[in-house]
Amino acid sequence: MAKVEIRSEITGTVLKILVEEGEEVEEDDVLMIVESMKMEIAMESTADGVVKRILVEEGNQIAMGDVAFTVED
Amino acid sequence: MKRYEEEVRFALGMGGPEKLAKRRSEGNLNARERVGTLLDEDSFYELGLHARAIREAVQHKSPADGKICGIGTVNDRPVAVISNDFTTLGASSSVINGKKMRHLRELADKRGMPIVFLGESTGARMPDRMGAPGRAILGSDPHEFRRTRRTPWVSALLGSCYGSSTWYGCMSDFVVMRKGATMAVASSRVTSLAINQPIDPEELGGWRLHTESTGLVDVAVNTDFEAIALVRKFLEYMPDHNGVAARFHEVPEGSGENQDEIQKFFPDGRSKTYDVRRILDTIVDNDSLFEMKQRFGRSIVTALSRIGGRSVGIVASNPKNKGGAIDVDACRKVTSFVVMCDSYNIPLVFMVDQPGFLIGVEGERMGAPGRIMNWMNALSQCTVTKISITTRKNYGQAYLNMGGGSTADAVACWPSADLGFMDPKIGVNVLFGIREEDDPGRFNELVAEISQDSSAWSLAALYEAHSVIMPQDTRQYIIDTFNAIDGPSDAKISEHRLSNWPTSY
Repeated sequence: MAKVEIRSEITGTVLKILVEEGEEVEEDDVLMIVESMKMEIAMESTADGVVKRILVEEGNQIAMGDVAFTVED
Repeated sequence: MKRYEEEVRFALGMGGPEKLAKRRSEGNLNARERVGTLLDEDSFYELGLHARAIREAVQHKSPADGKICGIGTVNDRPVAVISNDFTTLGASSSVINGKKMRHLRELADKRGMPIVFLGESTGARMPDRMGAPGRAILGSDPHEFRRTRRTPWVSALLGSCYGSSTWYGCMSDFVVMRKGATMAVASSRVTSLAINQPIDPEELGGWRLHTESTGLVDVAVNTDFEAIALVRKFLEYMPDHNGVAARFHEVPEGSGENQDEIQKFFPDGRSKTYDVRRILDTIVDNDSLFEMKQRFGRSIVTALSRIGGRSVGIVASNPKNKGGAIDVDACRKVTSFVVMCDSYNIPLVFMVDQPGFLIGVEGERMGAPGRIMNWMNALSQCTVTKISITTRKNYGQAYLNMGGGSTADAVACWPSADLGFMDPKIGVNVLFGIREEDDPGRFNELVAEISQDSSAWSLAALYEAHSVIMPQDTRQYIIDTFNAIDGPSDAKISEHRLSNWPTSY
């Protein structure tokens, strides 16, 4: 079981989380929307697998490089 | 006659049947099979088939001295090729194969033909390079690493690449890597011994590192065949040498037929993101979009393409990533792309929808201002024709980097263009100190007020934009503009002020 950490590519505010723990996702599926620079930016999974942990909450700040999700295949 | 036959058999036998069988079982082509896959059938003219190592002790096991060199054709156009035979002394760099490579480089420059490096090598041959005599070998060609871009260079990294395969990869205009291959200064074994730590080759120089973090590799693929197919495809966008323009191609049937679909991929909301590649695919000749460094600096797409049969380089904001905000990696990527296109007389189109440079501590730490100025310097010295089309946001200094002002020869806007210095909502915060949640009515009034002067029409009235075009007319506008400025022929040659600039930044 390989664990992949999905990190935020940008600093901003978590606007919406679109998946739940335990949900199956594929690479490029949108996991959350981050608002930054007045844009709603989709953060995608970089791997196929199951969302094991969600480490962010809607409305919270997130920094570039922070782990937002873990996905296990 | 017998000697001749024996010598030919020896040379063509590479590292021997056992080593060749092992490669085959691992699913990898050998060096001669790679040459055959790259070139048109029966077109290979070999140089140095009977070359051998200079050191007597290894002459019996050094057919062609480990690097297969020659000239052939790709789609009937001349190409020089150097294929590393890893089964022969690890294709290590030596006195004799160094002479072969140097000769071929000279011939390629003289005739004006691209060079393809099929990389897989261990690095300097030992013990030849030990001690002072080794230093004398290494320094014998002061111009070995001089890159003037007289002709395009392409590298395929197809196995363990250290030494020359790495150096030539880093000097190439396009680099493709087979997944599982590695590229690094020294092998994981040598590195591990030097720093006394175990090293994973993939971490040291695997495809993810080079396509996502260093940007030294343009694309990673699964097989040798796919890699070599991409080399052939890349060459179709290039001229044979920098004294001519790339040839026009016949426009595939159906190209440009779906221009109305652009609107489908372009969202209504100003804060919504989209994948610009869908729009680009609609605009360019069918199946001609050839993206470079797709996984690196992703908020900008750099791609070769053909539009109306003409080779065109595209630099396009991609709001799908980071909202199109331009980070340091995107700056590095654009600079190298502009340098390449200018060097080979490929005109440029900028498609602009960017909210500014990605500002923050991380970017500053990576030297963002220097990267931004490298790009500007390149753009100001770039003499191929440049078109800049603002589709939506075009803010800040990045407006100039993306061809605004007088940095492009033709500037156009879609009616949806917004050319303020920053997003109006941020502008109201900065100028008036009012936040939306404090007084929404007043806030929106001020947003509308400062948005007024940033429309496409305002820019066109000042003749900062030369045209306002509808999205569905973009393809035709690009064709007409190049025809008007460069002429309908392929004779436009740049001044090549950037041709000795580096390949990476």
